[in-house]
Amino acid sequence: MSSNPLLSVEGLTVQFFTDRGTVTAVNEISFEIQEEEIVGLVGESGAGKSVASMSLLRLINGPGRIVEGEIRYKDRTLFALEEGPDGEPRKREDMLSDEEMRTEIRGNEIAVIFQDPMESLNPVYTVGNQLQEFIKLNRDISKKEARSEAIRMLREVGISDAAERYEKYPHEFSGGMRQRVLIAMALACKPNLIIADEPTTALDVTIEGQILDLVQDLQEKYGTSFLWVTHDMGVVADICEQVNVMYLGNIVEQAPVDDIFYNTKHLYTDALLDSMPRPDRTVERLKAIKGVMPSAIDPPEGCPFHTRCPDARQVCEQTHPDLRDVSDDANIIHRSACLKHDIFNVNYEGSLPMTDETKRQANTSAGTTSVNETGADR
Amino acid sequence: MSGDELTDLTASTPNSHGSTRPDNSELVRVDGLKKYFNVDSGLLSGLDFRFEYPPVRFERETVKAVDDVSFDIRRGETLGLVGESGCGKSTLARTVLRLLKPTEGDIYFEGENLADIGREELRSMRRNMQMIFQDPQSSLDPRMKVGRIVEEPMKAHDMLDTEGRRERAKELLNRVGLDPEHYYRYPHSFSGGQRQRINLARALSVNPDFVVCDEPVASLDVSIQAQVLNTMAELQEEFGLTYLFIAHDLSVIRHISDRVAIMYLGEIVEMGEKEEIFENPKHPYTKALLDSIPVPDPRASGAHGVLKGEVPSATNPPSGCRFRTRCPSLIAPDSFNLTEEQWEAVRAFMRAVERQTFDPLEESAIRNRFFEDVQLYGEAAAVIDEAIDLIALDSARADGVELNGSGEYSEQWKDAAEILLDAFARTSVCAAQHPAKDVEAGEDSDRFVACHLHR
Ligand SMILES: Nc1ncnc2c1ncn2[C@@H]1O[C@H](COP(=O)(O)OP(=O)(O)OP(=O)(O)O)[C@@H](O)[C@H]1O
Ligand code: SF4
Ligand code: SF4
Ligand SMILES: [Mg+2]
Repeated sequence: MSSNPLLSVEGLTVQFFTDRGTVTAVNEISFEIQEEEIVGLVGESGAGKSVASMSLLRLINGPGRIVEGEIRYKDRTLFALEEGPDGEPRKREDMLSDEEMRTEIRGNEIAVIFQDPMESLNPVYTVGNQLQEFIKLNRDISKKEARSEAIRMLREVGISDAAERYEKYPHEFSGGMRQRVLIAMALACKPNLIIADEPTTALDVTIEGQILDLVQDLQEKYGTSFLWVTHDMGVVADICEQVNVMYLGNIVEQAPVDDIFYNTKHLYTDALLDSMPRPDRTVERLKAIKGVMPSAIDPPEGCPFHTRCPDARQVCEQTHPDLRDVSDDANIIHRSACLKHDIFNVNYEGSLPMTDETKRQANTSAGTTSVNETGADR
Repeated sequence: MSGDELTDLTASTPNSHGSTRPDNSELVRVDGLKKYFNVDSGLLSGLDFRFEYPPVRFERETVKAVDDVSFDIRRGETLGLVGESGCGKSTLARTVLRLLKPTEGDIYFEGENLADIGREELRSMRRNMQMIFQDPQSSLDPRMKVGRIVEEPMKAHDMLDTEGRRERAKELLNRVGLDPEHYYRYPHSFSGGQRQRINLARALSVNPDFVVCDEPVASLDVSIQAQVLNTMAELQEEFGLTYLFIAHDLSVIRHISDRVAIMYLGEIVEMGEKEEIFENPKHPYTKALLDSIPVPDPRASGAHGVLKGEVPSATNPPSGCRFRTRCPSLIAPDSFNLTEEQWEAVRAFMRAVERQTFDPLEESAIRNRFFEDVQLYGEAAAVIDEAIDLIALDSARADGVELNGSGEYSEQWKDAAEILLDAFARTSVCAAQHPAKDVEAGEDSDRFVACHLHR
């Protein structure tokens, strides 16, 4: 990876301290985003995608906390801990204050588009008003200029009749239009990085297509980097250059997009790709992944995927694989957290395969998210 | 799981048949079905006028949610129904089941016209027609144990005695991939995929022939979605079910369907065998939908976002072909004798002005942007000139930035759009005539396309 990433995340761990126990929503993940790059964060529901992406701007609160890791943006430290005199971790000196995060980073350096647009728009003000206010605050221009700029932004994100829609309230917009407004807001301060949490998931495929086009145009035009959070491998293939696959709080595979699809090196990614119905060809029978994702409160020991993995062996139950470069090509970094790869050197080949029975037991003892699913393997 | 254990599940039905392949007899036929809703007009709804005097007149508008739809569904097959949200898929499904009263048209189920049978008769017919909804969370009553939920339809139709129902419910739970012991639990402890399985068990409890599935896997994760889809396919084979399967996800439709119907703004615009629809789409809307899907293959050429704008309102659908306001292939009006290139430029300009998709520009800039490589003559050129004149910055007002969005100027844009639409869109055959269904002759006689390009 390049020596000067725009954003780098090192060993990030986020936990929620709930009545039912400690949830490790994000477990020691590391990744980078380069300038002008679209990076994907993909995984199923509950994998930790939202928590991971919101941590980058320190937007985790309530029972949740970043407990470990370092987040750097350009030459600034968004998050870092050090050991205090009493042995307890404390904030490192170079870490930005909340005030600095708010005024210097959020919005004008890094912007966020949330999963639900209604949450980010105020229902009692017109869309134009909110956009104009936002631009005026962040860009130090007159009200009139801000209005004109707001209309220009609405147009830029493909809202037709922008001047007229400017006067309308959020509830008068369709889902796709609201999502565009949020993109317009994110763009308004010309940030270098936009974090987008499933911005097209609730949209029709035709509208999603328009937004994906838009993002690619904007990236070309302004060189904006994106962290694109999604569960849709189609969207990943379409717009991402670099991909991080998450499972149960862990990044299990990390590689350039072509390698993720054509040279898959983790069994979860493999299984995910095999279980999808395809738009481009007819698949008679889907290869479903057995079982359900275990609960993050009491995750399985060893490899987090071992309760569902078709190739799990006993060593997978004992050893937690970290993410290592397993690439066979010196020019490509392709990381995987699967013990099958020689680099882990745990004698996977010599270990006994786990039977369905032992896996089911593992699944049960790890406590699945809900009632244990029997026969879910069909 | 052996088939033997389940003999009693299938044997009790007179209608079930062991065949796993669809035979060609029709189970459902829908003929000229319409469902209109009367609603308060968008302008007034949401406001409260009760204290106004004199009383404000409420305007009622008609939403043509389903408009003249005809198709048939064959025994044992899965008919997939796709379209953008709001195009009328769910309304169509509910009307077919007579959960909504049709405004017009007929629905034949096993030869019986559901549109004009009495309530009692309808009630007993319902046993053969079940429905599964999108949101497994809200469709299960949280206060009822799973067993009661599954048994409910059987009770409503007086099927079996208490003991028999319990036995059947447990057997069905097992059959849809749950533990029979889940009979005693409440639904909240189940995952989304498991809840959808409970729904399946409930729907199948009365041994229906026909199951309407409205986005049954839309809220499920990929890996769970695959499990549920596979289970649905197995149950179909085993119980000889016929599915009407609604989804907005074209990949799911491609996987599960035998035939596919594409819906746009209350109408079915194309229908045919699955492979035909996906490999050889004919209607411009079908093509656009297929082009929009992000393909899970980074080496595929990403040609998405070909459709601009959103689905227009169903209260006032476009005349002629309802797709014409977004159609990338809108046919040129005869009167101007435009070449293909000229028409493309005119169409693009017309739509850009209509949707106001570009910032105010000077005349030369507009011409550069839209008409750089094409020359127009005669009447067409005159119309374009007039429109450009209205919106060009130089002729409108000098101070463009201030003008952005101001009242008078935006009226001029609207005038320009009207002039263009009058000349070029409303005179197209696509606006003048409703495209008839072109039924293709040949072995696949069910294929039809409703588009003026195909006739
Ligand atoms: N406020 C909270 N309190 C307790 N646990 C939480 C909280 N927020 C998230 N979690 C847990 O953190 C884990 C990761 O959740 P997250 O929302 O990041 O997943 P996700 O990948 O974004 O899923 P989705 O695709 O459904 O959006 C889950 O186990 C979730 O239950
Ligand atoms: S480490 Fe073991 S269980 Fe995990 S993905 Fe690799 S083979 Fe499967
Ligand atoms: S009839 Fe005209 S507008 Fe409608 S789909 Fe065909 S070409 Fe397009
Ligand atoms: Mg999320």
